[in-house]
Amino acid sequence: MSDELLWAYCVTDAGDPPPADVERVEAGGLAVLVNRVPREDFNEEALQRNLNDLPWLERVARAHEEVLERALSAGTIVPLRLCTLFDGVESVRRMLEEEGDGFRGALDLLTGREEWGVKVLLDPSKLREAARGDDDEPAAEGLGEGGAYLLRRRQERETRELAGSLARGVAEQVHSRLEEHALASVSRPPQNRELSGHEGEMVLNAAYLVEAERVPELRDLVSKLQTEHEPLGAHIELTGPWPPYNFLPEDAAAVG
Amino acid sequence: MTTTIAEQEVALIDLLDRLLAGGVVIAGDITLAAADVDLVYVSLRALISSVATAEEREILPRLGSAL
Repeated sequence: MSDELLWAYCVTDAGDPPPADVERVEAGGLAVLVNRVPREDFNEEALQRNLNDLPWLERVARAHEEVLERALSAGTIVPLRLCTLFDGVESVRRMLEEEGDGFRGALDLLTGREEWGVKVLLDPSKLREAARGDDDEPAAEGLGEGGAYLLRRRQERETRELAGSLARGVAEQVHSRLEEHALASVSRPPQNRELSGHEGEMVLNAAYLVEAERVPELRDLVSKLQTEHEPLGAHIELTGPWPPYNFLPEDAAAVG
Repeated sequence: MTTTIAEQEVALIDLLDRLLAGGVVIAGDITLAAADVDLVYVSLRALISSVATAEEREILPRLGSAL
């Protein structure tokens, strides 16, 4: 048994120029980009341990992404899930032969298209302000201490609910406007603030598959939407083009 | 081709958001299966504090090419 494993990054057309420092395994006009990694660090047991070591995970994730991005700038790619490892060149080739049709179909679908990420953040204090409106101090006169307390509690609850529905409204409006420019979209849960460290209220965390030639339109739309929602302190973050992690056809994503 | 994401500062969370949930899962000899992803996410939460500390100390390596 060799003391190395092959780490697979993505599938490309065999005609695309390969990135530097990466090996290729070819079959049927397709290529898998791979690198050799030490078996002792990447066998199943070691992975369980290492993947839970955040600096290790970050190093591996950034290295994976870095290769995908270089490959993406040279052509269309189908990204493989992190930690897809093979015993040797022969097993990579066998996989490529078995799954070739799915990969070819995915490459065709993704050609000329790009994945872009959009996050919408709102300012919670501006949301509350907008929800409170002008009549924030209705007469508490003659209610007594208990009555005034209950009134205040009710107002706070109503403000919170209204702020929530304002936020959802912005998310839905932005998402549907962006969808008009996209071939497909995936809406993901807002990120955990402790992990992301983002400021404000994340109301949308989505990915869009767009025709490459429509990307300038997408940029314009994003800045227009941000201006539109300025009163709520909207910050709309556009990132990309990403390797198309979120837009892989079902049959190409089947667990073999 | 437009500038790629590589030329921007990519947040680790954005990357993991995609890398751990996206990408084609195929029959590699070893593949990070869905169950393992949950495991990673659970442990990530526990590691939040260590991330913050590590970033402050700039000990998280910024890798170039090779794994």
